[in-house]
Amino acid sequence: MPYSTSETVDAVVIGTGAGGAPLLARLAAAGLKVVALEAGKHWNPATDFATDEKAQEKLFWTDERLSAGADPIPFGSNNSGIGVGGSTLHYTAYTPRAQPDDLRIRTDFGVGEDWPIPFDQLEPYYDEVEQFLGVSGPSPYLWGPTRKQKYALGPLPINGAGQLMQRGCEQLGIKTSPAANAALSADYYQAGVGHRKACTNRGFCQAGCTTGAKASMDVTYIPLALHHGAEIRPESFVTQLITDGSGKIREVIYVRNGQEERQRCRFVFLCAGTVETARLLLLNGLANSSGQVGRNVMAHTALQIWGEFDEDIRPYKGVPGALISEDTHRPARADFAGGYLLQSIGVMPVTYLSQMARARGLWGQELKRAALAYNHVAGINILGDCLPAVGNYLELADEKDSRQMPKPRVYFSNGENEKRMTAHADKIMRAIWDAAGAKNVWAFPRNAHIIGTCRMGESADAAVVNADGQSFDVPNLYISDNSTFPSALSVNPALTIMALALRTADRFLEQRK
Amino acid sequence: MPEKYPNGTVRALLLTNQVTEVTRQALTERLETSYRKPDFFSETAFGLLKAICRRLVPQDENQPHIDIAGGIDERLVQNKSDGWRYDTMPADGEAYKLGLAGVEETASLLFEASFQSLSEEQQDEVLQQIQQEDAPGETWKKLPANRFFEELLAEATTNYYSHPLAQEAIGYVGMADVPGWQRIGLNQLEDREPKEIMINDE
Repeated sequence: MPYSTSETVDAVVIGTGAGGAPLLARLAAAGLKVVALEAGKHWNPATDFATDEKAQEKLFWTDERLSAGADPIPFGSNNSGIGVGGSTLHYTAYTPRAQPDDLRIRTDFGVGEDWPIPFDQLEPYYDEVEQFLGVSGPSPYLWGPTRKQKYALGPLPINGAGQLMQRGCEQLGIKTSPAANAALSADYYQAGVGHRKACTNRGFCQAGCTTGAKASMDVTYIPLALHHGAEIRPESFVTQLITDGSGKIREVIYVRNGQEERQRCRFVFLCAGTVETARLLLLNGLANSSGQVGRNVMAHTALQIWGEFDEDIRPYKGVPGALISEDTHRPARADFAGGYLLQSIGVMPVTYLSQMARARGLWGQELKRAALAYNHVAGINILGDCLPAVGNYLELADEKDSRQMPKPRVYFSNGENEKRMTAHADKIMRAIWDAAGAKNVWAFPRNAHIIGTCRMGESADAAVVNADGQSFDVPNLYISDNSTFPSALSVNPALTIMALALRTADRFLEQRK
Repeated sequence: MPEKYPNGTVRALLLTNQVTEVTRQALTERLETSYRKPDFFSETAFGLLKAICRRLVPQDENQPHIDIAGGIDERLVQNKSDGWRYDTMPADGEAYKLGLAGVEETASLLFEASFQSLSEEQQDEVLQQIQQEDAPGETWKKLPANRFFEELLAEATTNYYSHPLAQEAIGYVGMADVPGWQRIGLNQLEDREPKEIMINDE
């Protein structure tokens, strides 16, 4: 039931990833006329996705971004996606919850920012999202507050990397557990979506799931949104937000098939992710009376430690992040604020070898020898909090992209806190791998999950949106994605983005009553 | 650690229904790609790039050759990006042209000869100095030598190990995923996963 561009729809949702899709479904279910504009295609994973890393590069946002600062952030494969479903098309579906103290890092440590939303307001949404996606995980869960509901399904099986991490951690007295993962450990049915089959352990989560077992948005909230009458308009790249005399956005301009089109609307939900959301606002000179748009870029500390083992591992099998430990969430006697989680990692060959080439600089016969050990490698990585810093921000560069729009330039440098946390984690992960019997251990320094740029807060002077995701400056503009996070959290962001998206939708609907 | 894996595993799997149609298409096309004539690079620059790639990722003379440089030329002529670049680097195409000229400049300053006329050891010396930012040459005042090397190495590695024959050589058969994987724990192999050949086995 497509809407026409001449009619005024209730809401335009820009972006169909973890921030856009749940909200789209919620608004449509409430009876609103909603249109989602998505820059990428609407794929059919079963017939369009190859089990091949190079062929699947089509899931990555590859409009060039400029990475600046002391620790330039790689984009493309890691930090944003394109296509209906956004980066959930290639996320690992690792879905730990934030813990309550993640939301009050300033209160506890005197640095960073607190969230304007307490944990108990997020918790019901965590429950709802986990049940809807069919998150597989252990119940009870070893860390954080007691869960009100069990995970929807029991945990997924542990692959070789997970078994090795278990072995190493056991010797060091570090507790581990199968991770919470939004891939199905058993067949699952949801009203409005239908049946989805259990995961077949094909290990290709980060290059697109072909079976629908992984809860990317295109097989969960998008079908629900369509079921409730939403329209998805793929291959529609938004360029302008047109305001009227009252300062409200009345029209969204986008390019489809090389043609400019316009959609009139009453409300706009901007869900394009940390980089594109901020870029679009800066390009349009909107919602920035605070001067905070583009500021507070954060990226998780995400050091990986790799090792070679005598055992045959075949790291392409099973969900990559099978095992977790949150014992390092608030480590005793730490010399830094916040904390991190530990996870085991399997890996696809091209990803592994190209990052090894970058980090170790191996070439020639050394590279070939290291590559021959691929079936014997396993990794551990962390995801840790990151504090906002003045020098970490996004700006529009003078250089133009193929659409003749300014490229975003993102400055990022790890601060003292991130460096100390990473050093702490480096020690622990090496100890785990030593205990597990690893040889040729090496580190891949990196930051993952770009967060920030449109901070949520209580004051219009210091934040871009309020706790409901509503712009302080443009009353009919809402933002729902990782750009609004006031702090980076010490867990993967996707589950929290979805929970927050539903909360934003509910708060919006309540206000309209 | 394995010494090698048997020949022909991926090629055999591609003929079975353990690989999806769309996967088979992508890999077969790559297997059948013949040598590319350069569109982006000049013949001279392309010859130099091929020579560098031979040192970065040496290939077995007894196996079909994988065209690493051709993949780079194809990407650049299509003006494709991997989504980001170091802010200290010029645009990818410009960086490659500058960097290749820099390799020649360094070769000439170190050995008074062109890169391709050097011995393998001398070629490696040139590349190593570039990687370590020790290389002489005016080029490297404009272009960060270590970043140029890192980008080139990462792309060469990606192109090489994306090829089914290179994947076969490291014992990777993840593309044969239609039946799923049940045996995923340590030392658990399914029948279609090749056993490695250890040094002692020979």
